[in-house]
Amino acid sequence: MFRRFCLVLSCTLLTFPGMAQQPVTLEVDQKASKAKEPTAEQLEFFEKRIRPVLVQHCYKCHSQQAAKKDELRGGLLLDSRAGLLAGGESGETIVPGKPDEGTLLGSLSYDLYEMPPAGKLPAAVIEDFRVWIEMGAVDPREGEVVKAAAIDIEAGREFWAYRPLSPGEAPNHRDAKTPIDAYISSALRAAGLKPVEQASRQVLIRRLYYDLLGLPPTPEQIEAFVESQNEDAYETLVDQLLESPRFGERWGRHWLDVVRYAESVTLRGLIYQQAWRYRDYVIESFNDDVPIDVFIRQQIAGDLLEADDYQQQRKNLVATGYLAMGNNNLEDQDKAKLRMDAVDEQLETIGRGLLGQTIGCARCHDHKFDPIPTKDYYALAGILRNTESIVNANVGKWVESELPLPQQELEAAKQVQDELTLVKSELAKLTKDTKLGVVGVEDVVGLVLDDSDAVLVGNWNKSTSNKTYVGPGYQYASGGAANTSATFEPQEELSGVYEVRFAYAYGSNRPKKLQVEVWDADGSRITELDETTVPAVDGHFDSLGTYRFEKGMKPRVVVDTSKSSAGAAVIDAVQFLSEEQVARESKTVDSEGDQQAVATRVKELEAKVKELEKLTPAKEIYMTVREQKEIADAQVHIRGDVHNLGDDVPRGFLQVATYGPTPPISRGESGRVELGQWITSDSNPLTSRVFANRVWGWLIGVGLVRTPDNFGVTGEVPSHPELLDYLAAQLKGNGWSTKQLIREIVLTATYQRVSVPSEELTERDPENRLLGHMNRRRMDAESILDAMLSVSGKLDLSMGGPTIKSGTKNDYNYPHQGYRRAVYWPAFRNSLPEIFQVFDYPNPSVVVGRRDVSSTSPQALFMLNNPGVMEYCNLAAERFLAMPEVDDEGRITLISLAVLGREPTPREADISLSYVQQAQSEEERLQNWSRVIQAIFATVDFRYIK
Amino acid sequence: MNSLFFSRRQALRVASCGFGSLALSGILAGDESGWVSNPLAAKQPHHAARAKRIIFLFMQGGPSQVDTFDYKPILEKRHGEKMPFDDARTIANTGKRGSEQTLMQSPWKFRQYGECGQPVSELFPQMAQHVDKMCMIHSMHTEGVAHGPATLFLHTGATNFVRPSMGSWISYALGSENDNLPAFVTIAPSPGNGGARNYGNAFLPPVHQGTTLGSAGRPATEAKVRNLINNSLSKDQQQGQFELLRALNAEQTSVRPGDKELDAVISSYELAWRFQNNAPEILDLSRETETTQKMYGMDHKDTFDFGSQCLMARRLAEAGVRYIQVTYGDAGANPAWDQHSNLPKHADHAKRVDKPIAGLLQDLAQRGLLDDTLVWFGAEFGRTPYSQNNGTGRDHNPNGFTTWLAGAGVKAGFKFGASDEFGHKAVESKTHMHDLHATLLHLLGVDHKRLTYSYSGRNFRLTDVHGELATGILS
Repeated sequence: MFRRFCLVLSCTLLTFPGMAQQPVTLEVDQKASKAKEPTAEQLEFFEKRIRPVLVQHCYKCHSQQAAKKDELRGGLLLDSRAGLLAGGESGETIVPGKPDEGTLLGSLSYDLYEMPPAGKLPAAVIEDFRVWIEMGAVDPREGEVVKAAAIDIEAGREFWAYRPLSPGEAPNHRDAKTPIDAYISSALRAAGLKPVEQASRQVLIRRLYYDLLGLPPTPEQIEAFVESQNEDAYETLVDQLLESPRFGERWGRHWLDVVRYAESVTLRGLIYQQAWRYRDYVIESFNDDVPIDVFIRQQIAGDLLEADDYQQQRKNLVATGYLAMGNNNLEDQDKAKLRMDAVDEQLETIGRGLLGQTIGCARCHDHKFDPIPTKDYYALAGILRNTESIVNANVGKWVESELPLPQQELEAAKQVQDELTLVKSELAKLTKDTKLGVVGVEDVVGLVLDDSDAVLVGNWNKSTSNKTYVGPGYQYASGGAANTSATFEPQEELSGVYEVRFAYAYGSNRPKKLQVEVWDADGSRITELDETTVPAVDGHFDSLGTYRFEKGMKPRVVVDTSKSSAGAAVIDAVQFLSEEQVARESKTVDSEGDQQAVATRVKELEAKVKELEKLTPAKEIYMTVREQKEIADAQVHIRGDVHNLGDDVPRGFLQVATYGPTPPISRGESGRVELGQWITSDSNPLTSRVFANRVWGWLIGVGLVRTPDNFGVTGEVPSHPELLDYLAAQLKGNGWSTKQLIREIVLTATYQRVSVPSEELTERDPENRLLGHMNRRRMDAESILDAMLSVSGKLDLSMGGPTIKSGTKNDYNYPHQGYRRAVYWPAFRNSLPEIFQVFDYPNPSVVVGRRDVSSTSPQALFMLNNPGVMEYCNLAAERFLAMPEVDDEGRITLISLAVLGREPTPREADISLSYVQQAQSEEERLQNWSRVIQAIFATVDFRYIK
Repeated sequence: MNSLFFSRRQALRVASCGFGSLALSGILAGDESGWVSNPLAAKQPHHAARAKRIIFLFMQGGPSQVDTFDYKPILEKRHGEKMPFDDARTIANTGKRGSEQTLMQSPWKFRQYGECGQPVSELFPQMAQHVDKMCMIHSMHTEGVAHGPATLFLHTGATNFVRPSMGSWISYALGSENDNLPAFVTIAPSPGNGGARNYGNAFLPPVHQGTTLGSAGRPATEAKVRNLINNSLSKDQQQGQFELLRALNAEQTSVRPGDKELDAVISSYELAWRFQNNAPEILDLSRETETTQKMYGMDHKDTFDFGSQCLMARRLAEAGVRYIQVTYGDAGANPAWDQHSNLPKHADHAKRVDKPIAGLLQDLAQRGLLDDTLVWFGAEFGRTPYSQNNGTGRDHNPNGFTTWLAGAGVKAGFKFGASDEFGHKAVESKTHMHDLHATLLHLLGVDHKRLTYSYSGRNFRLTDVHGELATGILS
C-alpha cells in the first residue's frame, strides 16, 4: 500500500517543510511478472478482452493521467502492471492465479465495491477478468509507481507551533511599562513606528466593563472612576471586575464558542434539557479561576478522575458534557458509521478548540500539510471510540446520567427508594395492576443488573416489543445458537444469603427451556426457566433460588443459549435480594384474604406512596459520556470508511506535539485520562499557546495568531512569536490562571491606548498588526442585548439554572424572551434568538474562536423595529422619567452615560432634547424619550467599543 | 436572517440614489483590515452559464418513483410475490443483504404523455401535460437511509458533518444577480430533519445563509420578512425618529470622516429605511392577475398554499434570486411524502402540488423565464418497489429513484438513466446526488471542483472528493 497518494482533494499542494516529496520506486514482487514468458494467446486475451475495458471504464479515475489532474481515486493505478500489482488503499487488487483474492473481482461484481460506479459491467466481461486472473494475469504494460515519502515527524517539529516554548528575554525598553509592552514596542520600533497615546479614563472604564463583564458601567460607576484621585484607580477597578460574578458569565461565554455549546440538536430539534449544567459549570469555573489545565482534564475525562468530595465529583461529571454536545445525526441507520462520525466530531472539537490542530484532515489520509499521519488520527480516535456518546436506537440519544448526592443524602434516598419500591410492588400485587408492564430499574428493590449491564457474546438484539420489562428494554438471541451468552456480574461485593431472580419479557415465541446458571460460594447451580409463561414472582421475575456469596468472590449469572430450546431467548434483568429484603417483602397482606382488609391496606399503601414520593429527592440528570464495555484500540479506516478496516493502531497522541515519554494508556480504560494529561502536559507546546492566544484575542480583538483555531501550516503565523510564548509561559507559570493572564494584559500600556490610529499608523500598518493603537471592536450580540436590558432597569442578574420553558418538546420557533443575561438564553440550533442571528453569534455546531463581524440591514431593521428592542427602550424611558430631581438636560446626560459611556456632545443633546420637547402630552413625552433612547442604541457610538 | 426584496425597477431607483453598489444583505463583512467589498456582489462564473438561477421544488419525505414517473409493469404481474432484495435499511442495521420482501404494485394507473411518451401515473395529471419540457433522471441514488441523514445529504452533500448548503455555495460562488437581493431564498423550509442546517452557511460567511420565508406546515400568507414592519409607530413617528437617528449618527461620525466601517453601518440604516418603505410588494401576490393566480391553483384551498409559494418563487426568480427552494413538507419527523404504511395517502400530497407545479412550468415558459431558469423537482430519496413489512406502504430507498429537471440547459422531453426492472436500484447511467450537485453547479457556470472554501486546514467542496457531470442531460 502506498500512502499519501490519495490526491483527491482540491487542496492546493503546498510543500510542507518536513515532508520530502521525492519519488521512490516501489518494489514490486518480481516473481509474478517474471515467472514465465507469456504466450501469444495470453497476450492476445489481455489486448482484446482486458485492456479495452480498463481503458474505457477504469482509467478515468485510476491512472497517472488521473493523478496528474488530481483525480486519482483510492490510491489505485490500473494503467500499468506495476500499479495493478501494487494495489491501492484498500489493499491488493489482484493476486495472479487466485481470482478469489484481491479486490478487483469483488468490485466488478458489485459485492465488495461497486465499480465502475456508472453501472455494472456485463457478466461476460467480469468472467473474462476471472479467466485472465486465473491464467496468471498476464499484463505487458510498462510504467512505474511513484509514491510520496511518509511524513517526517522530526522535520515537522521545526514548524513554529510544534517547537517548545521559548519566550527568550523580554526586550529591554526604558519606556516599556510591562514586559508585554516591551515586546510590542520593540516590534513597533523596528518598523520605525510610534504608538498612540493612552486613552482617557472614560474610554477605559467602558472598555474594561465590556471586556471583563460584558456589561456597560452605570453613570455612577463612570463618575466615581473618572473623578477618583487614587493613582491605582485603574488597577483597583481591574481587580474589582475580576472578582465580579458577571466575569464568569462573560468569559464563560467565550469558552462556549470554542466548545460548540448548544441546547438542542438540529435533528428533530431535540432538546438537551440538561445542557445548562455544563454552561453553569463553565461560568463557575471562570469565576473560581479554575486552572485551565484542570478545567480541560475535567472536560475530557471528568467521569474518570478522582475527586476530593462529592461537589468536586459533580463538577467533574458535568464537565464531560463537553464531549456530548456534537450536533450528530442521531438517526443515521449505519450505527458503526455514526459512532465514528461522533468520534470525528469530538476530535475536531478537541483539535481545533484545545490544540489549534485540524486533526480531522487525517481521517482519510495522512494530513496533506501538517505532520499528522493517519495513524495519529486513529491513535486518538481509539481513545474516543472507547467512549460511548450516543445510545443507539432508530433515533439515537445522547448519554444522560444521574448526579451523585452526598453520602448521607444518598443513604437516606436509598432507604426511601427501597421502601417505595416495596410498597409499590405490594400495591401492584393487591390491585393486580396490569399497567405494571414496564418498570424502571430504580423501582425494583435490591441489587439489580439490567440487560445492558450484561457482558454479551454473540448476536443479541435490543427490543421493547413485549411490554413487560425492566429498564429501557430487553434483549434476545436465538435459542440454540452456539457461542452466544450473557453474563451478569455485580460490581458490588455480596456476602450472605441472597435470593436471585431473573426477569424476562415472556411471550409465545420464547424458548420453553432456558438454562440459567448461578455461581456462588458453593459452586454453581442451573435453573431451567420456561420463558413462554408469566414470570412467577411478579410478572417480571422468576426465582432462581437462594445462594450464598462470600466477600472476594465474583457472583455470576450466566445464560448460554446453546443450552436453550428454540425461540427468542430473552434476558431482561437479574435481581439479588438479601434475606432481610425477602423477609420484608413477604410481610405483605395475602391477596386471598378478606376483601375489607385488602381495601384498607390499599388505601394505606396509596397514602404511603404519596408520602414517600414527597420524600424522594428529585433526580438530577446531566449530559455526559461513558466508557464502552469493551476497551480496544481502533483500526485505520481506509479512506475514512467504517466498513473498510486496516491495521490496528495502538492508542496514543499526536507524535509531533509530544516530547519525551507519554503517559502509558491503561488497558481497562478508554485512555481519556491520559489524553487529558497529554493535552495539558508541560511538554505539549500547543495547548498553552492556543489558550493564551485566545485570551489575547478576546481582549485585544484579534489574536497574535489571527487563526486561533488553526496553528497548522494553513493557519497564520504569530505576529509576535516571542510575545505569544511569553504569554503561554506566564499562563503556565501562574498555575494556568486565566484571571492573572487577563490582569497582566489589561494592565499594559498596549491595552490602554486609544483606538484611533495616527496617520502614520493608518498608512504603514493598516491592519494594526503591530498594535500601535488599540483595536476598535464591534460589540457582540450578547453585549448588545445585555446593555439594552441593563439600561432598561430590568436586567435579571440571577445566575444559572435551567432556562428553557417547561414543556418544550423541540426547538422549532422557540419564543425567546425575558430579562436574564444573554448567556442564559437557550442556545437552540434551529432557532437562535433573533438578536443572535443578526449580530453574528457563532454557529453553535462548530468550534468558533473568532466571530465574524458584519454590518447588515437586518441589523438595522432589528434595531429600528424589533418589538423587544422597543420594549426595553420603553422601560428605560419610564425609569429615567421617574427621577423628579433630574431635568431634561440632566436626563439626556444620564442616558448618554448609560448607553454610550460618555456625556452627550452639545449637538447631540440639542438634537435629542428638541425631539423630546415636541411632545404635546405626558404620554407622548414618555414615547419620545423612549424613541430617543432607541435612537441612541442605534448609533455607531453604541455599537463600537473604542 | 439575511433579508430583503426589491424589484429590478426599485433597485434601479435605489441605485440612482447612490446606494446601488451596496448589497442590502451584506454591506460589510469585517476582516483583519476592517474592510472588504460587498460579499454578495455578482461574480463571474467559471464558464458560460446555461442557467442563471434554479428553483428547487423539494418534495420532503420521498415520493415513490414507481408510483409517479418510473413505470414498472412487472410490479403488476408479480404483485405479492416474495423475493430477496438488498434493502438499504436492513443492510445499514444488520449488514444483511438479500432480505425477503414482497413486491407491491402501484395503486395508480400509468399513461404515456407528450411527444416523448413519458409514462406518468394518475397522481400527476397536470404535471404530465409538461413532460415535453422535462428531463427525467431515473437513475438517482444517494446516501442515508433515514430522513435526517439523506435530507442533509441532499442539501449539503454530507449526511452528518456540518457543511454549507447548496444554496449557500451558490451564493458564495456567484453572488446576487440583483444588488439588493439575497442570492439564496428558501420558502417554507422544514424545521425537521436537519432544520436550519439545510439552508445554513456552516463555515461560509453568514451572509450566504438562506433567507427564510415562512416555515413548512404554516400558511403561505405568514411568509414575511422579520422586523420589516413596525406596528407600534405611525409612518410620521418613524420618519421623525429616523431623522433623529440620522442626525445623531452624523454628529458622531463627524470626528471620523471617511471611516469606511462606520459609513457602512450608516448605509445599512439608509437601505433598511428605503426597503422598509418600498420592499414588501415583491411578496404581494395580489399584484398578479386572477388568471395567473388560478394557473397556480390559488383559487382552491388544497392548492392555495403551495401555489402561492410557487408563485412567490417565480417572482423572486424574476427579480434575480439565484437559488430559490420551495419545500412541500411539514414540521414532523415523518415528513409529508413519507408513506410507510399508507401509500394511498400519496394522492393527498400529489393533489396539493400537481397543479401549482404545472402552473409554475407554464408561467415560466410563457414569460420566457424557462430559457434561463432551471426547475428541479426532487426529494431526499425514493421508495422501495416492495411493501414495508408486508404492509400497505413503502420504505425509504436511497438506491434508486427519479428526479426531474426542466428549463435552462437540459434536454427537454428526455429520459436519462434507468433503474432495474423493479425500480429498486439505479443501474444505467447511475447518477449519484453528488453527480447531480456537480451538474447543477455546472449549469450555473460553476466548476464543482474549483468551487472551494478554505476552512479548518483544507479546502472544502460541495461535492467533497466526488461528483461526475451527467453530461448526457445537457442540451
